[in-house]
Amino acid sequence: MTSGTRPIRCLACSIFKQEIEALRAAGRLDLPVSYLNSMLHMVPERLETRLQAALATAREEAPEATVVLAYGDCCGHMEELEQEPGTRRTEGINCCEILLGSETYRALRREGAFFLMPEWALGWKKIFVNQLGLLGPCAREFMREMHSRLIYLDTGILPVPEAELAEASAFLGLPVEVRPVSLDPLLASLEQAGRAARAHDTE
Amino acid sequence: MNRDHHQELLNAIQQADRAGANAIIEDWAAGHSYPQVVPDLLSPTLEAFGRLWAHREIGFSLATGYVAAKVAEDVLARLLEEAGAHGKAQAPLKGPVVLGNVEDDFHPLGRKMVGAFLRADGWEVHDLGVDVTPVQFLDAAEAHGARVIGASAMMHTTAKNAAKLREELERRGQAGRIQLALGGAVFKLRPELVATFGGDGTAPSAVEAPALFERLWQCATAYRGEAAP
Repeated sequence: MTSGTRPIRCLACSIFKQEIEALRAAGRLDLPVSYLNSMLHMVPERLETRLQAALATAREEAPEATVVLAYGDCCGHMEELEQEPGTRRTEGINCCEILLGSETYRALRREGAFFLMPEWALGWKKIFVNQLGLLGPCAREFMREMHSRLIYLDTGILPVPEAELAEASAFLGLPVEVRPVSLDPLLASLEQAGRAARAHDTE
Repeated sequence: MNRDHHQELLNAIQQADRAGANAIIEDWAAGHSYPQVVPDLLSPTLEAFGRLWAHREIGFSLATGYVAAKVAEDVLARLLEEAGAHGKAQAPLKGPVVLGNVEDDFHPLGRKMVGAFLRADGWEVHDLGVDVTPVQFLDAAEAHGARVIGASAMMHTTAKNAAKLREELERRGQAGRIQLALGGAVFKLRPELVATFGGDGTAPSAVEAPALFERLWQCATAYRGEAAP
């Protein structure tokens, strides 16, 4: 993927790593991608600092390139970052909306869904227990009050982690559903951001 | 040996131990009267918790915030139960107010915490839930006679919808008469956005929401040219 005559590079959250690499391997996406750890999401200020630094590095390494940010609105100043010349972000509030598309995401959230992306499903305990402090009865009470069910977004790259999902379901006290999702919305979002970056760059 | 119930309660909340926190409150109440729990034990402890929460001290997580709110709810439920048993059931003393997450925002925790702390402080709260449109906010506020709307948003993208709520307030001639409190993660990170999106005030943590709502209620009352009670 190029932006007119200018190359495009991508800074992405590692939550998308398996999916973006699968698109690249299949020849559907042709651009260099750098990943930042998805756990930065837990501390938005830190994510913002790391993303700013990564953007600066990307510009130093390839001043002629435009940059696509494969991110949701995950830190306080994301809008400022994506408004820098030659920069655009994938459209969506968060990674789940980017994968599902806006309409489906909102419909499922209205039903009380809590989404598990493949990367985070594998490390769910680290996130819920170590990061959010949800332990014992508190975990179940909290999740049942806020949500109706867990939905694992199966992008088809990794095997569905049945054991981890069963354990998460028991620990959090919610049923779990596996929902197959296409990579097409992610690809379309990356391509759209690339086109917008090009337009932004030539304004 | 005298127990330091305030510190024990703070520790229990910090460990997200709801049952332990309630046991400490029960023990304290055994030597006092239960209605004194709120002013003498719970409020000062939650104020201390709020200060630590606002400064993001180590050991204060999403779970501890949730448990703090649940403990406040538990105390309120017990007070209502006792008052009912003695035939003294009372209507809330303050409000009414309306709460909700702005349109397209689906993150309920902060809003639920604010609701719990307001109710424990004696407010009548009408919680509209997540993804609330400006029209729904104003319809509810007008129907209930609310003078404060509390709107929550987690991200910048959804926080922009608070500006639409401000527009609806203006369109209905309710600006000033109904005050707009804005809260949520993005407003905590970027308090300047409160003014940008038309809010009348914010608080650094849910624990401090009652003081904010008190101030905004007085502003609305003054705007209407009424004397404060």
